[in-house]
Amino acid sequence: MKKMIIVLTTVAIISGTTLAIAYSAFLPLIQHNQQVALERSLGALFKQGESPEFSEIETDGPTIYRARAEGRVIGYAVRVVTTGYGGEIRLLVGIGPDLEGITGMEVVEHVETPGLGGRIQEDSFKEQFEGLQPQQDISYVKGGDTQAKENSIEAISGATISTDAVVSGINKTLDSALPTLIERAGEGGE
Amino acid sequence: MKNETLLSHFGKGLIQNNPVFVQVLGMCPTLAVTTSAVNGLAMGAATTFVLFFSAAIATLVNVIVPSQVRIPVYAVIIATFVTIADLILKAFFPPLSAALGPYVPLIVVNCMILGRIEAFATRNPILPSLADALGMGAGFTGALMVLGAIRELLGAGEIFGAVIFGSAYPPMLIMILPPGAFLVLGILMALFNHLQEKDIPILRKAG
Repeated sequence: MKKMIIVLTTVAIISGTTLAIAYSAFLPLIQHNQQVALERSLGALFKQGESPEFSEIETDGPTIYRARAEGRVIGYAVRVVTTGYGGEIRLLVGIGPDLEGITGMEVVEHVETPGLGGRIQEDSFKEQFEGLQPQQDISYVKGGDTQAKENSIEAISGATISTDAVVSGINKTLDSALPTLIERAGEGGE
Repeated sequence: MKNETLLSHFGKGLIQNNPVFVQVLGMCPTLAVTTSAVNGLAMGAATTFVLFFSAAIATLVNVIVPSQVRIPVYAVIIATFVTIADLILKAFFPPLSAALGPYVPLIVVNCMILGRIEAFATRNPILPSLADALGMGAGFTGALMVLGAIRELLGAGEIFGAVIFGSAYPPMLIMILPPGAFLVLGILMALFNHLQEKDIPILRKAG
């Protein structure tokens, strides 16, 4: 009886210590990878402008980055967190400096089914968001004509849940981010 | 002579006693992550890593662990190595870690690992245990990779991300979807059993 407790406790303590050491050893690398993934996605949002610099705007709502290149604001990036089919999807939406059009969408992290919902990270899907209006809700159409519906994208066939998660996540986040953006759009230039 | 037995401990996991096709262990990752060949390979490698080190530690601590608490002790040991494997994947292979998602932590409940530790590692000295762990891991990895490659080829027209069939081939989506896993696994198992019935020496049933 006593031996059982001693053995199990010892094993648990050794295991906990090992994990604490391993975690602190790998943490810098893991954070570095997440930072690299975020920066790569941020950079991909704005096609014109040489390597923009990003600074976070302090808000109570969603995280917003201001993108600047050559001393002027070239746009804003809004972080969107939404729940898809397999779990959390983290993405970024780029908006032009005048808040008129979406410049791009990038998926930072997702656990959607490869080959189905996972296709939200393919260029053919992401590029559809370019030029859409951030000020009104985005919608999606299944298997067809995006001209039929204003401000819409084509859903990934077989992955309506992932498509819906991305679209509704963007709509919801932009709704709460836009007032801040409108209020602070004038700042940050030089 | 000794080397020969070590080799046979290693070899039996590859084909005769393949964890997936013969023992039918570890079905959750087998069915879930084999949507592509690289996912199968990564899952197999992570599982082998966990099995190898867990078997090593379990063999060593076996003598001092009272049999009433052996399962919790092994579970803690396995969980420790699974967490380390998950951290390593996140730190060094972020794209793979993203692709395998929640299935890496789930290696903890892969019954192949606890099964090999209970059935082999704790009843044998350390060297045969390690040979057994490596063999089972290799057999598991191979099976997952073959399954992943077939599903990726039929479902997306690619193998290891390289386009094989080109755009003229309409991908069979069902192969990437969960039913595809059952279909391919069933056909492979039938094929495996059929070949084992024939008297090919390397495929002959163990024991």
